[in-house]
Amino acid sequence: MYVELKNVNKKFGNFTAAENISFSVPKGSLAGILGPSGSGKTTILRMIAGLETPDSGDIIIDTQKVNELSPNRRGIGFVFQNYALFRHMTVFENIAFGLEIQKKDKTFIKNRVHELIKLVGMEGFENRRPHQLSGGQKQRVAFARALAPNPHLLLLDEPFAAIDAKVRKELREWLKETVKKVGITSIFVTHDQEEAAEAADKIIIVNRGKVEQIGTPAEIYKNPATPFAAKFIGDAVEIENYGNFHGFKIENGFEKALIRPEFVRISKIEDEIYPYASERGTVDGVSFKGRSMEIKVNVRGKSFLAYHSLEEAPIFAGEKVSVLIYKMYLYNNEKVKLIENASLKNEQEFSI
Amino acid sequence: MEKSFVKKILIFLGILFLAIMLVLPLVSVLFHAFENGIKVFIKSISNEEALKALQLTLIAAGAAVIANTVFGIFASFLITKFSFRFKKIFSLLIDVPLAVSPVVAGLMLIFAFGKRGWLGPVLDYLGTKIIFDIPGILIATIFVTFPLVFREIAPLMQTQGTEEEEAAAMMGANWFCIFRKITFPNIKWALFYGSALCASRALGEFGAVSVISGHLREKTNTMTLYVEILFNEFELASAFAVSSILVMISLMILILRTIAEYKAKKWEDK
Ligand SMILES: Nc1ncnc2c1ncn2[C@@H]1O[C@H](COP(=O)(O)OP(=O)(O)OP(=O)(O)O)[C@@H](O)[C@H]1O
Ligand SMILES: [Mg+2]
Repeated sequence: MYVELKNVNKKFGNFTAAENISFSVPKGSLAGILGPSGSGKTTILRMIAGLETPDSGDIIIDTQKVNELSPNRRGIGFVFQNYALFRHMTVFENIAFGLEIQKKDKTFIKNRVHELIKLVGMEGFENRRPHQLSGGQKQRVAFARALAPNPHLLLLDEPFAAIDAKVRKELREWLKETVKKVGITSIFVTHDQEEAAEAADKIIIVNRGKVEQIGTPAEIYKNPATPFAAKFIGDAVEIENYGNFHGFKIENGFEKALIRPEFVRISKIEDEIYPYASERGTVDGVSFKGRSMEIKVNVRGKSFLAYHSLEEAPIFAGEKVSVLIYKMYLYNNEKVKLIENASLKNEQEFSI
Repeated sequence: MEKSFVKKILIFLGILFLAIMLVLPLVSVLFHAFENGIKVFIKSISNEEALKALQLTLIAAGAAVIANTVFGIFASFLITKFSFRFKKIFSLLIDVPLAVSPVVAGLMLIFAFGKRGWLGPVLDYLGTKIIFDIPGILIATIFVTFPLVFREIAPLMQTQGTEEEEAAAMMGANWFCIFRKITFPNIKWALFYGSALCASRALGEFGAVSVISGHLREKTNTMTLYVEILFNEFELASAFAVSSILVMISLMILILRTIAEYKAKKWEDK
């Protein structure tokens, strides 16, 4: 393991910002720390960088314990949430800064900076100052600046937060490609699950200063380990009295359930396949989500979301539809449990 | 129509006010200074006493600028880049010299450093003297201009935050390099502006210095004190001549200050 945190704790006054944080990141991989605002993501990143000191626990980078090592000797590249470009320097000077600190010779610096400017696609902007750049361009410069001194670890704090949706997606893919191309171990912070899922090899979910779950995006998506993870990942809608729905019985110890849009199939009443497992519902609203329609449906007074393919017969707001819930997550304060529609099982067996 | 009439009246009143309150006195100083010809002017400002006073004034202003610039930088760093207890009280204390009257400030210094002051015995033992002597003048001048540089750069450093410094640290820079290459360039115009403000204020200082100096001719007289003496002795031509020197230095600093202010504004807008 390249980066390892072992039981790291950090308090600000008597507020616990990080509690028993342990995780590891293999060499050359891209890890995403995902959590809601105020969950301690930045604090964790800053402790790895050496900008905050943990109260207890070990931070190990490349087999060396770095707790006592000052930030300027850790060889880490850091991309700040709002870039923190040096405002009085040009793009070129910003990127060259780290190399000048390393006392590299002039021609080397020039070549390396140009190489990086090309890598981040900022040719022609060498002499601009930060206030003459757009958010996305600043992001690229910040990234190039962090990479210039050849860090062995790259930390990025919400690198895309200030950028609009379309550019964000482009930059995200570009970052993933670039990180893989350079082959540098990287950790980035985000509160956007989609971003984490798309870019990261491994996701670390944090909440209230604690690690909730660690895993690949698919693992976390499929098997949320904690109620928080189940609620936070996917556009799950919380419902009570889930026993009212066909095919589901109240289980002891589980009061509430979560339904993800992917767990629901909506069809026109005449196209209904499994009548005993299905419900009748009313469409509250329909919105276009690029590749499919997102449908808000109301069943027995409960609203939740479902997707509907554009290839199928269109469904309109106010329409009565057949709603089939395949499965749902039951959860209490400690546990999550996936249960499937029992009637559906019977029907499928029956029809075979 | 109506509006432009009001505007004209206001502009006229403004200019009239400036002319009576500022330009007239300013010109009259220069006029009276040269009233009896250039020879008298040169004589008035080139005698031993005038030169000594000018020298002391410049030294005191220089000391104030240097001391308060150094202090201002350290204090701003402390206040904006670190967190500690009593921070509020600390920044409140820095403002005391601006809040009290310079004459009172002078008295405070006498009570602290004078013969019968708290530190008097210690100074006696060391064989030095502060009050009624040049060190006293310097201390008084530094005291009354104490917060000026700090007040200019601290808010700027506050709004700029610490991230640029942290970014530089992550790239391997040590603290001295960070200050030289990141912090200083970001505050230099505000720093210059604050120093110029401090210099203007130091040149014109009268109250505290008057109390501390003991009016020892040719020893503890600054320009302002010297002007007062000349005036009281009805040496009006000389008084005006010496004053005009102060005026000219102040105007020069004012111009530099305006340039610095302009640059600082431009800098902040980035
Ligand atoms: N220097 C500090 N002093 C006191 N409390 C702090 C300090 N830094 C962070 N905190 C607190 O620690 C908690 C975690 O902060 P942190 O910045 O790590 O959150 P985050 O997950 O990065 O949130 P966001 O997504 O909003 O950036 C917050 O409640 C914050 O108020
Ligand atoms: Mg944060």
